[in-house]
Amino acid sequence: MRRCIELLGHRYEVSLNGPTGKWIIGIKDRHPEAASITIQGNSSFILALGEDNLPMEIARAGEEVFIQAFGRNFRLKILDPVEQAAQEAGSKGDTARAPMPGVVVETAVRPGDIVTRGTPLMTIESMKILTVIKAPRDGHVTKVHVEKGQAFEKNAILVTLGEGRERPL
Amino acid sequence: MKEIRKVLIANRGEIACRIMRTLDRLGIPSVLICHPCEIQGPAARLAPEVVEIDGDPPVSAYLDVEEIIKACKTTGADAVHPGFGFLAENSSFAERLKSDGISFIGPKPESIELMGNKLKAREFCISLGIPVVPAEQEGRGFISRLKALGFPILLKAAAGGGGKAMHEVMEEARLKETIKLAKEEALRYFGEGSVYGEKLLRDPRHVEVQILADRYGSVVHLGERDCSIQRRFQKIIEESPAPGLEPELRQELLSSAVKIAKEAGYESAGTVEFLLDGQGRFYFLEMNTRIQVEHPVTEMVTGLDLVEQQIKIAAGEPLFFTQKDIIIKGHAVEARLYAEDPESDFQPSTGRILILRLPEGSGIRVDHALEKGMNVTHAFDPMLAKIIAHGQDRQTALDLLGSALGKTVILGVTTNREFLERIVGHPTMRAGDIHTGFIASNNLKAPQLEDHQREMLLAAAALVSRQFTDQEFAVSEPYAAIGDWIN
Repeated sequence: MRRCIELLGHRYEVSLNGPTGKWIIGIKDRHPEAASITIQGNSSFILALGEDNLPMEIARAGEEVFIQAFGRNFRLKILDPVEQAAQEAGSKGDTARAPMPGVVVETAVRPGDIVTRGTPLMTIESMKILTVIKAPRDGHVTKVHVEKGQAFEKNAILVTLGEGRERPL
Repeated sequence: MKEIRKVLIANRGEIACRIMRTLDRLGIPSVLICHPCEIQGPAARLAPEVVEIDGDPPVSAYLDVEEIIKACKTTGADAVHPGFGFLAENSSFAERLKSDGISFIGPKPESIELMGNKLKAREFCISLGIPVVPAEQEGRGFISRLKALGFPILLKAAAGGGGKAMHEVMEEARLKETIKLAKEEALRYFGEGSVYGEKLLRDPRHVEVQILADRYGSVVHLGERDCSIQRRFQKIIEESPAPGLEPELRQELLSSAVKIAKEAGYESAGTVEFLLDGQGRFYFLEMNTRIQVEHPVTEMVTGLDLVEQQIKIAAGEPLFFTQKDIIIKGHAVEARLYAEDPESDFQPSTGRILILRLPEGSGIRVDHALEKGMNVTHAFDPMLAKIIAHGQDRQTALDLLGSALGKTVILGVTTNREFLERIVGHPTMRAGDIHTGFIASNNLKAPQLEDHQREMLLAAAALVSRQFTDQEFAVSEPYAAIGDWIN
């Protein structure tokens, strides 16, 4: 099985080949090696990779894996191939996304409005801090995805912008 | 004297649990108010009696004065402990309770009102000859007066406090729009839109004095706390005593705090906050008329229970000690564990707590209301827990705190655990060279990941992932155990 794993904003291609208990792992250009993971005590794990052993704390929720190791914390994401493709296609600054989870306090634009880079699109509230979401580029508003009072998660699309500064006919 | 027989806690989370523990020890029954979304949570389970109050958003339940008073009446609670935040510094709430014959475990409404309005509090301190930071109030020529004051300027809400609705303005070009934003926030959070502009001190230290005052005019201080390590104007590490403070300056701070409390006819526990510039000058910042988040460091060095003192004072008992009875023993440091991501501007994070392991042992105190499986949402404040270490001196306390943070495991939501550990171990922190610009001016970035560390992480993630190990998933023991944590 081959998948992309996201770690600290970078994507790595990782392959894992069985059978169970005799996994061989391939990471990027590294020579494939035997890997295993064993439970030690309540919830600590020992990862063995080639000659190395490392104690770790690990938890998983869906496609996310949380690891505490060598005094640090990491949040890794196993990317779904379909989602990955969609993300790569849609990252041209056509959307204003939520920098954090929160609630819409006020929307400042409506579909059809012409905006320039930096035009306030809406005011959001998160953890008692108001933040003004601004247009990432020049364009016109094609959709406002959330309305006043509505809650959203981190990275949710708040406003979509269309190409060009002209109002569509 | 009016005995307190039953206390309603108008708060949630760790502070509600902390108040309940003291009430328990004193043999006073407690009642907790609780939003339905937290009814399964640790605080509600600890409470002998719970009154559900609904509200949308959930925080509104803890601000619902009418329902809280109704809950007092139906449960027979004759006093309310407000904790911090929510209604803790709402003078009309304190007034309402009074008129209903319910004790407010805190100061008199007049004191809350005086200190709650930052402009009135400033005027009061000026009248006592206590220095305040130069500032300009709104009104005719506000903009030009601010310009004359000089940049950078700090805009604050007159009715504000606690670091909320504060905005730095570095240059004239941003002044008007920032005033507009500050006014909007002020109106939203404090119900009153007036703001004022203060001269922004460069990298001051934040040192505050804990006081206790009874209704018979006795006021004592319980030493000071240094709370200079902040991000977004919010404290994340606090300690007592303040490191390297000149004895004369320390004495001036302590006696100024006592003077303010005495002259204001203050009653209950309170904190007088000061800013210290690099030249040995100090300025009154504000007085907080409630128990503070960081009160445990004072409790650890004085051996006193501040919540117990608040309750006794509210019941009309006189302080049973004088200033000379207060002895500061050793050093205590607190670290606030937040659900936030220091790598992306301390933005709050959400998630489900999948693994939870908190430190324990001699000299370690952890105040929290966490449990495995619980959801951390953006409905409430992102503070998860407070980890406090007490040692014979500052280095010992910092060592102990560093090791406690290292033993803390919270997985499933991004936290500042690692960041706190880096601060506690930082040589500049160790040297006591701290000020409010500490985080901005020191390198606290995570070290570069080494190749073999990265490979270990990727291998571990692949081995525990269903997407990699799909068909064989059910048979393998370790994976089955991890599967338990899936929500």
